Amino acid sequence: MKTKFQRRLMREARYAVTKRWWIWIIAGLLPLQALALSGEEVMKKSQAAFLYPGKDFKARVVMKLINKDGQERVRELTMLRKNVGEAGGEQKYFMYFFQPADVKDMTFMTYKYPARDDDRWMFIPAINMVKRIAAQDKRSSFVGSDFTYEDVSGRDLEDDTHALEREEKIGGRDCYVVKSTPKGSDADFGYKLTWVDKANFLPLKEEQYDKKGARYKLFTADEVADVQGIPTVVKRSMKNLQTGHRTEVAYLKSGYNLGIEDSLFTERFLRQPPRKWID
Amino acid sequence: MMKFSLVEFSIRRPKWVLLLTGLITLLFLTQFPKIRTDTNPKHMLPATSDVRVWNDEVDKTFGLYEDTIVVGVENDAGVLNRETLGRIARITDGILALPGVASRDVNGFTTITNVTAEAGTLKVGPLMPAAPKTHAEVEALRAALFGNPLFVNRVISKDGKTTAIYVPLEKGANGAEIADKIRAIVAQEKGPERYYIAGDPVARDTFGAEMFKLMAMFSPIAGMIMFAAIQYMFRNLALSAAMMGVSMVAIIWSMGLLIGVGFPVHIMSSMAPVFLMAIATDSIHIFNEFYFRYKEKGDKLAAIRETMAAVSRPVRFTALATAAGFAVLLFMNIVPVQVFGGLIAFGTVVLRLLSFSFIPAVLTFVREDRLVRAAGSESVEGDRTARALGRLGAFGAARPGMTVAVALALVAVSVWGTSKIHVNNNLVAWFKPSSEIRVADTAMNAALGGTSLGYLVVQSKEPEFMKQPEAERWIEGLQRHLEALPEVGKTFSVVDYVKRINRVLHDDDPKYDAVPQTKDMVGQYLFLFSMSAKPSDLDNVVDSAFGKANIWVQMKTWDADAMRQVIAAAERYEKANPLPLTVKPAGIAYFNLVWNDEVLGDLVRGFSLALVVVFAILALDFRSFKWALVAYAPLLFTILFIYGVVGFVGKDFDMPLSVMSTLSLGMAVDFAIHFVSRLRQRLAEVGGADLPGALAWTAARPGKGIMRNAVLFAAAFSVMMFAPLTPYVVVGAFIVSMMLLSALLTLLLIPALVMLGRRWLVA
Repeated sequence: MKTKFQRRLMREARYAVTKRWWIWIIAGLLPLQALALSGEEVMKKSQAAFLYPGKDFKARVVMKLINKDGQERVRELTMLRKNVGEAGGEQKYFMYFFQPADVKDMTFMTYKYPARDDDRWMFIPAINMVKRIAAQDKRSSFVGSDFTYEDVSGRDLEDDTHALEREEKIGGRDCYVVKSTPKGSDADFGYKLTWVDKANFLPLKEEQYDKKGARYKLFTADEVADVQGIPTVVKRSMKNLQTGHRTEVAYLKSGYNLGIEDSLFTERFLRQPPRKWID
Repeated sequence: MMKFSLVEFSIRRPKWVLLLTGLITLLFLTQFPKIRTDTNPKHMLPATSDVRVWNDEVDKTFGLYEDTIVVGVENDAGVLNRETLGRIARITDGILALPGVASRDVNGFTTITNVTAEAGTLKVGPLMPAAPKTHAEVEALRAALFGNPLFVNRVISKDGKTTAIYVPLEKGANGAEIADKIRAIVAQEKGPERYYIAGDPVARDTFGAEMFKLMAMFSPIAGMIMFAAIQYMFRNLALSAAMMGVSMVAIIWSMGLLIGVGFPVHIMSSMAPVFLMAIATDSIHIFNEFYFRYKEKGDKLAAIRETMAAVSRPVRFTALATAAGFAVLLFMNIVPVQVFGGLIAFGTVVLRLLSFSFIPAVLTFVREDRLVRAAGSESVEGDRTARALGRLGAFGAARPGMTVAVALALVAVSVWGTSKIHVNNNLVAWFKPSSEIRVADTAMNAALGGTSLGYLVVQSKEPEFMKQPEAERWIEGLQRHLEALPEVGKTFSVVDYVKRINRVLHDDDPKYDAVPQTKDMVGQYLFLFSMSAKPSDLDNVVDSAFGKANIWVQMKTWDADAMRQVIAAAERYEKANPLPLTVKPAGIAYFNLVWNDEVLGDLVRGFSLALVVVFAILALDFRSFKWALVAYAPLLFTILFIYGVVGFVGKDFDMPLSVMSTLSLGMAVDFAIHFVSRLRQRLAEVGGADLPGALAWTAARPGKGIMRNAVLFAAAFSVMMFAPLTPYVVVGAFIVSMMLLSALLTLLLIPALVMLGRRWLVA
């Protein structure tokens, strides 16, 4: 259910789009352009649309970790993101945990760099300690979910080769299907197929195959909403097809371009995050 | 009446009988291609049994795998060097790529989660992401391994010479196939390392392969030995062939039925062919009597009729006793034993049916000239064996007091021996010490924490309780308490992770190698851990609600007793340290224990039942309790003697032995039935005046049949003593000694007892 406020936002966003007449010219050219797109370009646009929209972004995130028998564990957090440069460039993430209860006030911060290991810090309130955490394995699970760190904050495009396989409709939407194969051997998957929406370049579905070629994980964008004129995946899930474990993620409140200060991403605020940013 | 007409029909229309038998046999034979084997010890108990339901639940709660192959790598110069580590990395990569392997949860140097702090940075990730390239890297790995109690005795031995890769298998994966592929991967590496492939699936599949070997090789060999023995005894190919034919037909019918109905062949049923072959030797009494009668009368058809009339009653009742002895197995709790009991009972009935149809039919085809020659020596007076046996019976009859006294003295000693019997099942001990699996198991147990795995599930009524420091400390205390047991090599729980993180967060200060003070600390440490660890790392040791914790207990022996010690120790600890927590055992080691106790319960139940049933059959046959008692004696004494020996030798009393003891009653009593029946027939014929004479005659004439039967039986089973699996060896030795002993006791002890109680019996 969208609130009245959200509906108004969307109306305004639509209005803003129609006012910019030149967009329509570009949009008219799109099919031609699209034909010429390579797998590389599709993934680049997809990365920009999925992981880099806006200057900054905030969302209240509820993650449900659900095992094969339907038992649930909940993680609730506020996620803040700020882009340092262009799409594909450096980013800073800040996460504040509400749930599970005993980890309330824990905070987690990541400086994400293209083509090198991230920097990560964690604040452990019970012992009042900020600890740097090595990020040697980006393919490890994010807070015990089926998403890996890379699934959350993105994988370097240069780590894989991308080939446009075919075009296909998903739920009535035209998609590019791109096959991405890791160049190195460190990834936990053999290759993945991504269904990228031709219109907004959001990934609607992703299938990861293990090194033996068996389907391993399935990502789906379950709901896309317009947030301040920006198409945003507000519900997504990742299912491990081999264990039957799955994780459902919902963005309860989200907003772009809120003017998050750079100073937030420091050890000081990691210990004492400002109310206004975490609620 | 019914049986008699069957004999008549078979003599008149022998070709029909043979044709019909052949057709039915073909019908059963068509079922053979559907054969399946089942070597999973889990299936000893039904899927609905408490222990299996509970174990499945535990597997589910903690995301545990049913099957794990353990690959051991041993290098006398130590595994921590660049070459060996390079090999380990390559081998692990190879294993990860195998279909059927649950790659995400393979634990070896390259994949196991390590928690360390380096230059103030917390690192949670694979211990050795790639093979070290420098000496310094090797040393760093050494420090990481020995600095972390989670690794010592699990992936590295204390002396640094052995490591292990734990390879869990997806549900339904073929363990034998994967083990073979791992062997191929390992074989590509040239170096001084030794490799061991162990674990439950390997043991099971090795067992399955050996079982088939036993059925396909040993059964025919046993058959050939019997054939040769019969040929030597009766010197007539047609008769020997008839005997073998009967057992073959019975085997094909029974196995065909088993397979056709959809049962898998299990360890017990794989022994069925040898058993049926041995039971078929009961027809020996027909041939034996036929030779004597033919010699006396010279008329083949009349001899057949008279033989059938004379032996029909004992043959029928021995069959009944045997069938009943096996049928009591149907009342046991162990599934394959039930199936086996039903299978043999059916086979025995088939055998008897054939005794009254197929055998007389074949006898009609035997050429008389050959018979005359073969039966020539067959008379009580002219036959050396018969004479010797007659003297044996006469000795018993002449010195009854001494014979019985000696037997009683032996019984007393045996009872003492029986008291030393130790009930224990050890699945790995079913393999010979030189077998690959035993060697691997021994080596791994010597180097690491132990290959036998049990779980202790610590349960609380409250969720989140496992995060309470007192619960954590309680579990830690229990682990230390268990590790004091000599059988326990290593224990492992969520507390080990908590303590490890506590220490690592505090700059690796050993002071913090302890459970932290508050629940929040525990919760936050575990959350921190779960941010980077494999999901299974925590899932394996706590449930998602943190209301249950799972302690892994590695034991150095597969003895069911080891788990009993662990459970007893846990109970003592629970009593001494009251907290609202309960401990419940689970895992394969626990299953083995439950199953072990079931075996014992089954034994007591089955044995008592068999004793009653066999006595009832004896009483019914002889229409006399007194004679039944006399016939009972050799049986009881035989069994006591054998158990006395088992007790003295110190052989563990396990499943195969316990099953044997039950069904041996039904088989061992056969001789006594023959003896007493024929003795009483003789007494009726010649009058009761010359009792010692009648006893000597019985010991000589039907006695020769008894001896022939026992020797054939023993010959068939002696083959099993050369089998590669100890249960077969034990069963073989057991049956051989039981048959010979009970034949001897029948011929010696019954005459003594009859003489002692002649007033009471004959009057």
